[in-house]
Formats: sequence, C-alpha cells, structure tokens
Amino acid sequence: MSDPSALLTEDVPVEGAVEGPAVVRHLILNRPQKLNVLDQDQHARIRDAVGAAEADTSVRAIALSGNGRAFCAGDDLGAAGRSDGPDPLAGRRVALDVGVGPVLLLEAAAALRDCAKPTVALLHGHALGSGYDYSLSCDFRLAAEDVNYGDPRIHRALWAAEAWSYKLPRLLCQAAVAPIAYLGETMDGRAALGRGLVHGVYAAGSDLRQAARPFLEDLAMLPAAAYAATKAALLRGLDGSFEQAVANQTLAESP
Amino acid sequence: MLQARTTGAVLRLGFEGSLDWPTLEALRAAVAAASEDDQVRLLALDCASPGDGWPDAKGEWPARLAQRRPAGNHGPGPLPEQDAVRALRGFVKPTLALLDGDVRNIALDLACACDIRLASASATLGDTRVRQGRAAGTGIAYLLPKLIGLSQAMRVLLLGETLCAAEAHRIHLVHEVAPAAAFPARAEALAADIAKLPTRAWAVHKLQVLPQLDMGFEAAMTHSLGVRQTHVIEDRAEGVRAWRERRPPAFTGR
Repeated sequence: MSDPSALLTEDVPVEGAVEGPAVVRHLILNRPQKLNVLDQDQHARIRDAVGAAEADTSVRAIALSGNGRAFCAGDDLGAAGRSDGPDPLAGRRVALDVGVGPVLLLEAAAALRDCAKPTVALLHGHALGSGYDYSLSCDFRLAAEDVNYGDPRIHRALWAAEAWSYKLPRLLCQAAVAPIAYLGETMDGRAALGRGLVHGVYAAGSDLRQAARPFLEDLAMLPAAAYAATKAALLRGLDGSFEQAVANQTLAESP
Repeated sequence: MLQARTTGAVLRLGFEGSLDWPTLEALRAAVAAASEDDQVRLLALDCASPGDGWPDAKGEWPARLAQRRPAGNHGPGPLPEQDAVRALRGFVKPTLALLDGDVRNIALDLACACDIRLASASATLGDTRVRQGRAAGTGIAYLLPKLIGLSQAMRVLLLGETLCAAEAHRIHLVHEVAPAAAFPARAEALAADIAKLPTRAWAVHKLQVLPQLDMGFEAAMTHSLGVRQTHVIEDRAEGVRAWRERRPPAFTGR
C-alpha cells in the first residue's frame, strides 16, 4: 500500500458540546504534489477512515478536504488502477481482462453516503472527477469562490461507475446532469451555488478548514440521533413511494 | 413532414407543419436509422411546432400499429406519439433540441426527450393541452418532474402557461439561451462541438443516468458497475494518450 500519510486525520474539538467529548474529524487528502489525485489505495483508506469515524462516538461530524493547491484533481491516470503495495483487491479479482473496476471507489463512496453522521466536503482548487464524485456522497458541499469543480472526464472518454448518475439527478434535477456530466462543464463556487450544488461559498484563497469551522461546529452540536434518523429517512425516501415513507416514519416515531 | 439534413457527423431533423402521425412515424424511423449509422455522432432536432394539429385529423394511423390501436370511444390513443418520444429518449448518442419559434405540446415532449436544449431568446415554450381539455399521454408527466422538479412541472403541465426562453432557462428547462440573431450560428457550433466528443462515452453516461432514475441506490450502484464492466470505449485510449501528450484529443466516436 502506498504512503499511508496520503490521507491524514485531524480531530478538532467542539467546545460546549452537551453529549460528552465531541470532535469534528477532518479527513485530509494529502498528496499535494499530485493535486491529491486518487489511486486504489486511497479509495481503500477513505473507506476505512469513514468507517472508523462512524464507529468513534466522539466524532460528531466528518469533513473531507485536501492539502495544497487542490481538493482533488480526480483519478491518478498514471497509476492506471495499480497499487504500490499488497493488492487491496486480492481475492476479488477475476481472470478476465475487464480492467480493475471501480470497486474500492464504489465502496468508499457508499461508506461516505451511508455514514449516519454529518459529512461535509470542503472544495478548493481543482475538485474534479473522483474528487467530485466523493463530494456528491457528502451531506453538504462548501467551496472556495475560485474552485474548479465538476466532472470533465467525458473530455478524456473516461467515466466513473460509482453511481454519480443516481446521485446527481436527485441532488439537483435531471436537467442539471447534461451540462455537468454530458458536456463536462466545470463550475466555480458561485456557479455551483447558483445551481444549488454547494451550500456555501468562501472567498478565494480561504483556508476552508478554518473558514468553515462555524458551519462544522453547528453540525457537530446537532442531536446525533435526530440527525441520523432524518438523514436515513431522506435517503430511504428517495427510493420509495410516499406511502412507504409515511409508514417508515410512523414506525420510527412509535415508542 | 419530416426534414433531414446531414452536415459532417451531425444529423439535423426538423418539421414542416404540425406533428401529425406520419411525421412522428418518419421521425421514429429516422432515429432508428441514425442509431445504426456510425457516421452520425449527434442528432439535432429543430423543435418549433404548434403541436399535433389537434383538433384536426392527425393523418393516417400507422399500419404497423394496427393491432395495438385501442378500441372504444376514447379515440385511437397516443401510441405513435409515445413511440416517437421513446425512440428519441432511447437513442444513446447525443441529442440536442433546438428551440426557436413556438415549441408546444408534443414538440415540447420531444425536446424534453433530448439530452440538451438550446433556445433562441425569442422562443416560446409551453403545454396547453390541459386548456384544450386534453391530458398528455406521451410520458411527459414522467419526464418533466424528473427534468425540472415536480413544482415547476406542475406549473407547466397544469397551468398551461407559455414560457419565454429566459424563464425556461431560469427553471432549468433549457440549458442555454442564445440571442435570436446569433441562434443559428450558435446551434451549429454547439452541435459540431458535441459531435466531436467521445460518442460512446456519452452513451455510457446516458445508459446509467436514465435507467437509474427508476432505481434504488443499491440497485444503481450494481447497475453502474455492470455497465462499466460490459462497455468498451475505444476512444478511452485516445483520451488518456492525449492527456499524457498534453494535446486536445481526436475522438472517433467508437
């Protein structure tokens, strides 16, 4: 496995929390010399780090960000699915020449989306391709004004299979898919805010981990069980009928 | 009557007069033929039309649908309309709706089945069928809420309002508005640009987005993985090669 310091974790205490010790856990992509591009090992690390944060009762919110000039410039095209160390997919490969497959990205993105705790992507510099995919799996997206954000993979005849195609029409609407995914247009922070894809924009050059601190602390102070139940209802509600949603919520409210 | 013109890799279709059944059948056939033609890398549809010509006769009922024509006193049913919308929506190569003039009823349905909608600033759009005492049976009640959200879809379909291009853009119904005088040139330039993109990569995007509108999340993930493992895109090699050589890619569409 490549250098483990490629993903850093940093806990920032939340003052005044009423439900015991509380921190915001920052997961920080840390390959700044390569604009935080993602390889197979990094997907596995993100998946495991989200799992660990979810299991840690002191963690009240999770923020995903990048060190250096970019949040994440996408996949490491140079790595072409290789791993530097032990193969994280050993035992799951098949002897067919269909490529390595996006299994780890899929698992990591699913872990992030399914996490019961608040999740936030802090987007600056380039936030493209798989980096953009990860942001769609978060509950909230905050961006620097001058972020270069989107999915230009069509311009390389590349595409991801982590179900962005499910998420984007539901986060916004189907019409929003065309410029972003089909035409590969990228957006700055203001344009993303205008489309409703990001929830807040900060001045260009801001240290987003600092600038977003009030937002992250607000999230961390919310009642954890209520947040988790509301998030689960929202996500489950996307896939069911109105009657199913009402029935599920009745059950959830029952003593 | 359907009009067709091919410029390079762009097939441009349009209508003269109302969208009667023979015209819709010709559109369906043209879309099917373009689907088989490797030279076609974009289908552009000029959507200006007042609709299906109702309440006058819609022309000859298609012979191929003779066995499916519903009996009873509800009229013949919108099967030709549905098949035309279905063909356009199921066409996996890029589709570009060009909205100039008045785009109404079935013409708006067809525009909504396309991937991208470009409007002239002078275009008007709407669905007035509810005001004619008709309920659209073309799938638009499914398409429109997915495209722009239920709130605006109800406004368009239930109030029968006529929207100007700027308002259609505001509610995301069209992706871009060009000044009226510049519209023809912008339409050609956008069509040519999209036709240069990796056609199969576009198709694979679409093959995920459209079916996944009807899936749960877990099913969508499995579907994405399945699409990924069963579709090979020749242009992918050129995309990566061009990136390494720091030059614009030259895609073949395969």
